[in-house]
Amino acid sequence: MSRWILFFITIIIGAVAGLYYGWFINPVRYVDTTPDTLREDYRADYVLMVAEAYQEDGDLGMAVRRLALMGDVRPADTVAQATLYAVETGYGRSDLALMQQLADDLQTWNPVLGAPTP
Amino acid sequence: MRRRDQRGPWYLLTGLVLGFVGGLLFAWGIAPLRYIDTAPASLRAEFKDQYRAMIASAYMATGDLVRAQARLSLLGDEDPARALTIQAQQALAAGRPEAESRALGMLAMAVGQGAAPLATAIPVTQTITSTANLPSPTLPALTPSLPVTAPSLTPAPPSPTPRGSVSPSPRARTPEPTVTPLPTRTPTPTPGEPFALQDMELVCNPALQLPLIMVETFDAANQPVPAVEIIISWDGGEDHFFTGLKPEMGLGYADFTMTLGVNYTLRLAAGGQPVPDIHAQECEVQGRRFWGAWQLIFVQP
Repeated sequence: MSRWILFFITIIIGAVAGLYYGWFINPVRYVDTTPDTLREDYRADYVLMVAEAYQEDGDLGMAVRRLALMGDVRPADTVAQATLYAVETGYGRSDLALMQQLADDLQTWNPVLGAPTP
Repeated sequence: MRRRDQRGPWYLLTGLVLGFVGGLLFAWGIAPLRYIDTAPASLRAEFKDQYRAMIASAYMATGDLVRAQARLSLLGDEDPARALTIQAQQALAAGRPEAESRALGMLAMAVGQGAAPLATAIPVTQTITSTANLPSPTLPALTPSLPVTAPSLTPAPPSPTPRGSVSPSPRARTPEPTVTPLPTRTPTPTPGEPFALQDMELVCNPALQLPLIMVETFDAANQPVPAVEIIISWDGGEDHFFTGLKPEMGLGYADFTMTLGVNYTLRLAAGGQPVPDIHAQECEVQGRRFWGAWQLIFVQP
């Protein structure tokens, strides 16, 4: 067999070995990540938790602070994205209602006044 | 021809190295790793704490323990009840809002007991008859078996799981509105008369290595009452602690470690007569001396 063919075969073997090691033997473990990297369903569930708590305490400022954990995105956008995901994946009606209520209230949220504007 | 053969197989090693380097270039330069679609278990500790607190707040709002447990399992805590308890104590110590520490404590109790949601989580019979057999009030190593399935970091399948199943994935939530009627959401003690001190005695148990004040609160039905705020004061200081933050000791249990030579006055924030002049006292059993623990039992009339 040609030396060049053997040469390229060993390159491929090396690459395959590297991939096998990286994917199966010692795969990447995500640690110390930030909430903005969470998968969409987890983000949606977090927003639902915020909505559940908001339903109980009615503190929109607290809800905004909790939503800030999700990153620099506007809270209203975070909730809107989560609500859309919830609709698409068949969340329960009561859950959707909670998220929608939070989304609606955030639309009129005035961070200066600290309360929804009429 | 002969000269070529003398070059040996080193070119094969060269190929392997080139392949490896090419893989690294691809992985680091062309398609570098991006942290997306991670799971809550991978969050940094401080974010995990916030996530856990959020779970507790949502639990306080809905009383849905199954959902709370499924969410907790996402965090990958080896012992969710203990993690909640520790965080509740840290929140108290850090002066965080009382609602947060209370929510964490209540969820810790519910998870630790495998109990029903909030209002029905109370009826755990606890009878204190022999003080000699009391377990150590220090936070034990805690190896309770929780009814929470081991968390899986594997991404959940995209299809929703059947209704009612418990899965670490948030997608496993009930796709229909929860039909379980929500219990009373107030985690505060049973309304009624202020607690009255029923019994106070010095417990001489060699297993208790610290001079403790152990408080137990019970309602009129002799059921332990969690989340009762206790105020302990001394000359120049005051501290607050709550029952139920050590669920392994009982829902109505709380303790405080005394400093030697200090006189304390204890009262419940809800009212009632203060108990003055509590201080560390030694016990001697069979020639062995150790610190005793004051046990105070408060009962609602």
